[in-house]
Amino acid sequence: MLDPKTAWQPYAPTDANPWTRAKVGHLYRRAGFGATAAELDAGLAAGHAKTLDRILKGEPETDDFARTSEFMAGERSMPPGAPQGRLSAWWLDRMLKTRHPLREKLTLFWHNHFATSNAKVQNARFMLAQYRLMQEHALGSFATLLVSMGTDPAMLVWLDTNTSTKAAPNENYARELMELFSLGIGNYTEADIRQAAKAFTGYEIKDGKGVFNRRQHDASEKAVFGKRGKFTGEDIAKLCLDSEACPRFIVRKLYAFLISDTDAPAAALIDPLAEEYRKSGFDTGKLVATMLRSNLFFAPASYRAKIKSPVEFAAGTVRALEGTAGPLPLAGALEGLGQVLFAPPSVKGWDGGRAWLNAQTLLARNNLALALTSTDDARFGHSCDPTRLLDVHQVKPTEAEAVEFLLTVFLQGDAPDAARDKLLDYLKGARAVKYPAYWSATDAANHRTRALTHLVLTLPDYQLA
Amino acid sequence: MSTRRDFLRDSSLLGFGATVPTFLGRTALAAPAADKAGAKDTVLVVVQLTGGNDGLNTVVPFTNADYYKQRPNIAIAKDQVKKLTDDVGLHPAMGALAKLYTDDSAVCVVQGVGYPNPSQSHFRSMDIWHAAGTAEALTEGWLGNALKKQQVPAFHLAGGNETAPLALAGAPVRVPSITSLDDFKLKTAGATGADNAVQKGVITSVANATASSAKPNNLLDFVSRTQTTTYASSEKLASIGKNYAPKVPYPTTALATKLKLAAQLIDAGIGARLFYVSIDGFDTHAGQGGAAGAHANLLTQVSEAIGAFYRDLAGRGHKDRLCVMTFSEFGRRAYENGSKGTDHGAGAPMLLVGGKVKPGVVGKQPALKGLKDGNLVHDTDFRSVYAAVLNQWLGIDAKPIVGDGFKAAEVFAR
Repeated sequence: MLDPKTAWQPYAPTDANPWTRAKVGHLYRRAGFGATAAELDAGLAAGHAKTLDRILKGEPETDDFARTSEFMAGERSMPPGAPQGRLSAWWLDRMLKTRHPLREKLTLFWHNHFATSNAKVQNARFMLAQYRLMQEHALGSFATLLVSMGTDPAMLVWLDTNTSTKAAPNENYARELMELFSLGIGNYTEADIRQAAKAFTGYEIKDGKGVFNRRQHDASEKAVFGKRGKFTGEDIAKLCLDSEACPRFIVRKLYAFLISDTDAPAAALIDPLAEEYRKSGFDTGKLVATMLRSNLFFAPASYRAKIKSPVEFAAGTVRALEGTAGPLPLAGALEGLGQVLFAPPSVKGWDGGRAWLNAQTLLARNNLALALTSTDDARFGHSCDPTRLLDVHQVKPTEAEAVEFLLTVFLQGDAPDAARDKLLDYLKGARAVKYPAYWSATDAANHRTRALTHLVLTLPDYQLA
Repeated sequence: MSTRRDFLRDSSLLGFGATVPTFLGRTALAAPAADKAGAKDTVLVVVQLTGGNDGLNTVVPFTNADYYKQRPNIAIAKDQVKKLTDDVGLHPAMGALAKLYTDDSAVCVVQGVGYPNPSQSHFRSMDIWHAAGTAEALTEGWLGNALKKQQVPAFHLAGGNETAPLALAGAPVRVPSITSLDDFKLKTAGATGADNAVQKGVITSVANATASSAKPNNLLDFVSRTQTTTYASSEKLASIGKNYAPKVPYPTTALATKLKLAAQLIDAGIGARLFYVSIDGFDTHAGQGGAAGAHANLLTQVSEAIGAFYRDLAGRGHKDRLCVMTFSEFGRRAYENGSKGTDHGAGAPMLLVGGKVKPGVVGKQPALKGLKDGNLVHDTDFRSVYAAVLNQWLGIDAKPIVGDGFKAAEVFAR
């Protein structure tokens, strides 16, 4: 572990710890959805400071993309009863095409934080509205986001606030607000929850908006965290924000999201950042910038210290292949990998980390990689054909060059020698394969390139972010 | 064309060492003939009711006036319950299990199960049930620890969005999660059978090499070990017949489909003895309904799926090998809330189903007076039920797993 004093200082390249293509890849994986070969080259050439500035700032979306995405989110193409697949495909499409990946990535962080599922909400309009709320504040103020979430229609349905009455409030939102959204277990009492539940009465949905109905609200005095007052839901959210536990809780969670989910960072590491976060009025953009610029972020301990989420795996693969996989089938395939956008398994969100990989989801990953690269899958066809990638970059197929190129694009070279040797052996051995007689030499070479690419995507290292 | 068998023989699949699931190297275990609990071929199927199942509306105290007072909107009327005893009965949606209770004497209801100082967080309480402990950091599960003592083939039969449960963590070989046998295959795009075999060989041998060279417990080690066990399991399961014909029809629900797969794996003779399934949706804060409605629908699914599963296996002569155990992370509050639902509670019943369970209702029915913060106080610690399952059913010493001081609950026929 790095000294907490220097851990959060900005990284500066040195001879001993230079700016490398591997670091560019690392930054693109964590701050976005992976890099293309061109982005790796450009990032390496531009140097570390410029690359970071560009990623943190993002670029405005192209008019075409903004218009299309907006249109697809319109009432006509996305009515309240729009199917789950369309909804998740819409967001996946944004992740694939956005010019501000960091913002989409942090929106995904907040989606996992305020994990709301359309399986219960059953209203695509509400889910989109919640997406917009999270996207607007993704790199903005967590305080505003937390308070606003209390009247977000999707959330009102998801945690039953809209049916909670003065006579007998239900505790669902009050509990998850403290346990999952702001403080973490151990930082409140059951009595706090029961009292806070009274404050979350009188919240309704009217004309698709969350509104406060004073007549249904329990305006009596409540005692929460040792303070007394005629608190409303907004007051309770603010009391949570005032708690010392709150900034620490969010910083820890963001640490796991951006840096490493394999270790539990020491308090000495978290506390200074939590204090800054609190002082900044919960400026998430500033916090994210500090983390991404830091020595710790670029330290060996943080490198490949996460398992790729299904979205990262799929989007990263398509981006690196410079392909255009249809978001609808791709979003459909993600279910098998264990991540459906807008449908997390519970209010705790996806467990993430090692939980991403089990026997079934691993095979689904391997087989999605095959479907994308093989060109004979009905869902994706030639949309991500690896032979085109090699053509574009003028790489000779089925030579050692192809292995080097693919390992650089997908893994920035992070493959053990044994893996490299096996891939080369495969190409050598494949010369003896009895391909169908009607295949030309090019057909056979292309087939080998596609198979080789699939093999690269199954390497253990490629499963790590 | 090379066949799967050729592939098994030719590929390096068999060189896995310690990471191979035990069943790979083993011939099918002896056919069922369990005449006593704890026999070597007993099967345990854990059914997790995720979200906090409302115990009071599952096993209904229909003679208790307080029950009807506390639940003006959602109580189950006396004439609707499926009576088990003079005082309690199952929810009307649970006809299939009620029939197993009355006709087959194959159901044991354990009343008022919980643990001291119950947590009302879904996630914390679930972890406590999974780990059979209350330490601050819980990293290994009770079944994972049981598998350390006795390595038997185990399966987590998962839904699309489901991760492996903590209960199975700590097993010496990772328990595979399986959604369907059809999807449980590693595919390659070989031009010929031999080409496919070579490609699979590259994938498995790289994983194998990484598994044996990575530092223990780092992520790469984890990934490659998951790969090696998965590929090996998938090859093994590829040999299982595609056309399983159940003895009775199963409902088309997700839970029933999982249990059907369990039946298929049990019947395949690969020695499978431990299964973990779950059904979500029990977090009924609002509009849970009474005799009909959201909670009733969930109980219907549970009852009919387990009912079909039991009858299917009974039809194959496996009923005395079978023990299905249901649990939830907590029950719900005795009083209904203003949303015609119930908030997170504590003590609740568990159900055990099988040919060798002690039929009847055991444990004390939780009192509806003297609630603790509105919660039912537990009578039986869940670790006593685990202790019975481990000691008397799986034949594994429970003490190191659940800890001292948990006397096995009397849930099996002696």
